[in-house]
Amino acid sequence: MKRNYGFINIAISTCLVAASGLVHADDATQNIAIPSIASPYTKSSKSYMLALNDADAPQKQASATAASQSAEFEPPMFSKSNAHKYLGLGTVALVVATALAPKPAENEGGTLTQAQIDEQESSNHARLGKAAATLAAATVVTGLIAHWDDFHVEDGWTDPDNMHALLGTAGALAMLFAVSNAPGGGHAGVGVTGGVAMAAAIKLTW
Amino acid sequence: MSKKLEVGALLVGALLMISNNTRAEETLTGWLTNFERTKEVKPATDKQYLKECGECHFAYQPGLLPARSWEKLLNADALKKHFGDNAEIDKDTLQTIHDYAVENAADKSFYKRSRKIALATVEGEAPLRITEVLYIKRKHKDIPENMVKGNKDVKSFSNCNKCHTRADKGVFDEDTVVIPNFPDWDD
Repeated sequence: MKRNYGFINIAISTCLVAASGLVHADDATQNIAIPSIASPYTKSSKSYMLALNDADAPQKQASATAASQSAEFEPPMFSKSNAHKYLGLGTVALVVATALAPKPAENEGGTLTQAQIDEQESSNHARLGKAAATLAAATVVTGLIAHWDDFHVEDGWTDPDNMHALLGTAGALAMLFAVSNAPGGGHAGVGVTGGVAMAAAIKLTW
Repeated sequence: MSKKLEVGALLVGALLMISNNTRAEETLTGWLTNFERTKEVKPATDKQYLKECGECHFAYQPGLLPARSWEKLLNADALKKHFGDNAEIDKDTLQTIHDYAVENAADKSFYKRSRKIALATVEGEAPLRITEVLYIKRKHKDIPENMVKGNKDVKSFSNCNKCHTRADKGVFDEDTVVIPNFPDWDD
């Protein structure tokens, strides 16, 4: 029972972090004055810093093209963005491993003995499931940290980053819910659905 | 019920994982079943396009603007006054680079940044400058003026490849950004 409350707490915390991230992202976008007609993108009439910077762009840029510095630069292996990426991929891998790992026998309809509960909780299936849910929560948190300015509610849910955030968060919550309901309670379907949602989220922005 | 759901979900996942299509950007199915990375912008590969455009400026990938923008930019009249310059080219070459740009425009691409640009430009006037697209503006809104306009090695946001070190490959990821004279730009 204690364990269930623990995962519910994690789920609620993830929700709050996700919600605060959305609010933060929203706050940032509200700094941009958006006039009233057309789509949120095209109704821009105010010059932003970018436009100001670009106002006197050089007409002849042949010299500019020549001096690209790509040759010597190597992108960092460890970055917020990479951490998010690898945590997401790890989550999906662990979901697959959890689904494939042998499940301990369930006592259909009857009450579980303490020995059976212990056996289920110490099984590889249970451990992998918990690891997958934890990684899923970490993925959501790192996603908010690394990509907080990539999703904007006003862009709608057809925006790939918005869909990614929605599916990823929903997938993580489904996994946490599945772990908190295990064993039994139809947790398998919810858990795998969570994994598929996360895989779909990855695909959308891959 | 949950067993069926589990099997169904695994099946969908397996189908997505197993199938592969190398020409992802051409169809939705192709994109769905391709596992090459398409989060950026499709690199420009047409030699004539790269030569003609790259002679004077960074050869912007067609996926950075919607097709109707390229229609406006790549016609004989428009090229006579191409951002203050005469950039006229012969008819056949123009046709080739026009077709290439339009066929690979943002609204015809499944690359993520192109999809975002296409969504950003779906309504209103077709932008003529990439820096006019709100998505691009928004991505750069926190970059102070002294790092670009006031930076002798950058001068303008239109010089993408001055800071985006993988711009020629269509990669505009933050991890690949180095702003000349500002090594700690993201602190």
